Amino acid sequence: MARSPPIIYLNNAATTWPKPPEVLDAVGQSLALPVFGSGRTTGSQGEDYITLAREALASLLAADPAEHVVFTQNATDSLNILILGFLAGQEAGCHVITTELDHNSVLRPLHELERQGRIRLTVLPFEDGAVRPDTVEAAITPETRLMVTAHGSNVLGSVQDVPRIGEVLHDHGVFFIVDGAQTAGHIPVDLKDLPIDAYVFTGHKGLFGIPGTGGFYLRDPESVAPVRYGGTGTDSFSLYQPREMPERFETGTHNYPGLAALAAGADYVASIGVNAIAEKAERQTAFLIRELKSESNITIYNESPVLPIVSFNIEGVENDDVGFILARAYGIVARTGLHCAPLVHRAIDGGRGSVRLSLSWFTRDDECRTAARAVKEIAKDANSSVGSP
Amino acid sequence: MRIVRSVRHKVCADGSFMKEFLLSAPIPEGFFAYLGNFGKVEALPNIGEGFYKFEKPDWFSIKGFAGDTTVEVRFKKEVMDLTVDFLYLLFTSYREEGTDLRVLRRREEAVERRVHEHLHGRG
Repeated sequence: MARSPPIIYLNNAATTWPKPPEVLDAVGQSLALPVFGSGRTTGSQGEDYITLAREALASLLAADPAEHVVFTQNATDSLNILILGFLAGQEAGCHVITTELDHNSVLRPLHELERQGRIRLTVLPFEDGAVRPDTVEAAITPETRLMVTAHGSNVLGSVQDVPRIGEVLHDHGVFFIVDGAQTAGHIPVDLKDLPIDAYVFTGHKGLFGIPGTGGFYLRDPESVAPVRYGGTGTDSFSLYQPREMPERFETGTHNYPGLAALAAGADYVASIGVNAIAEKAERQTAFLIRELKSESNITIYNESPVLPIVSFNIEGVENDDVGFILARAYGIVARTGLHCAPLVHRAIDGGRGSVRLSLSWFTRDDECRTAARAVKEIAKDANSSVGSP
Repeated sequence: MRIVRSVRHKVCADGSFMKEFLLSAPIPEGFFAYLGNFGKVEALPNIGEGFYKFEKPDWFSIKGFAGDTTVEVRFKKEVMDLTVDFLYLLFTSYREEGTDLRVLRRREEAVERRVHEHLHGRG
């Protein structure tokens, strides 16, 4: 191409971009002075970004108490800590449930444990983008101890009926870990009301933080054993990991710039309001779907998503090629392939993968119009001219 | 036209090895028709100056736009060492006024034998 078009970034389900100016400023400010962390320094000039971030997250997600919000490297890290830590207290060979909607951050730890003979695993199918609560109930056995599942699908943009599933699981005494990587910051999440035991979030998606931050909320800390041990800056005469939260799980030096960014990002989301974010996303996503549906050779896999995600294929053109064309000819950054969710794709497109457009609060209406036009142009050309030149 | 350097690379989900190459000149539209002598070419000619994709099964695929100075090449990783020289040759041998295919054909046949042996054994 003779000139590069401006970037239209529609890969926000992977990582949001751009970030709010407040987030970028916070990263700079966090590095401008020595770090200040409880128990780790005698200085007091700097901000305590760890506490700021914890309180911001607790407020946004209605997580109480704030100390039960734990920071990690990312959502995958959180899921590994929770899964391994919970199962450390269960008998070998216990039964665990997950779903076809889940990301490899859930599927791979669970399949590895199944391969090692530590658990029996059931992977539930979905209908209309969600797993039915009665399907969950039917899968529960006397040995079932844990269910881990995505709150929102990163391929279909659907949101699971977590309130109902949680009730079913708790009726049977099953521990419930919810992966909120795609929902935190996108839709209202009220952890004081949801019947779940742990909720996982990542910093760099809907919360507008930077990569390298994530965490989880854990209702009952004693239900999960720590799987990492080390310095916490507290109770240092003890040669054992503290039992208190959040030191039970937070060990080693924190990611101060990352947590400064996360605090600013969460505050930014709160200042706009999650409902306002969700409403704008719903309108723009509906527009994209309506436009793409007008071309007969475009298959949309999620016609009524809750999250701002549109997954599709164009007949006769590989999704990877569509992504290449969108990037090179239109400056549109999308994501193609399996999106680390192979079982979803096996169910919806035979494992071929799809093109995914995903929006954020910063996506403009004119960018949606350009994206719709671009996809339709590719579809029209595919309809008329695929073949040798 | 020649390949100047590789600007990016990654291993793809299907196991192929992707390299993005910077070229010494924009790709003429006729280049992809010429590639058709050695494999299958698909096109979406109305997108930009034309999107083209060349596929030589078991060797590599090339995709790019006419008029662009980069192409994306996906190598079958197992035989990449055997086929990469032929890729370079495809670019340097192309002449807009007409390319003499005889040398390329001989090289193609020689490489094909080695690729086949590597992937499927002798015989």
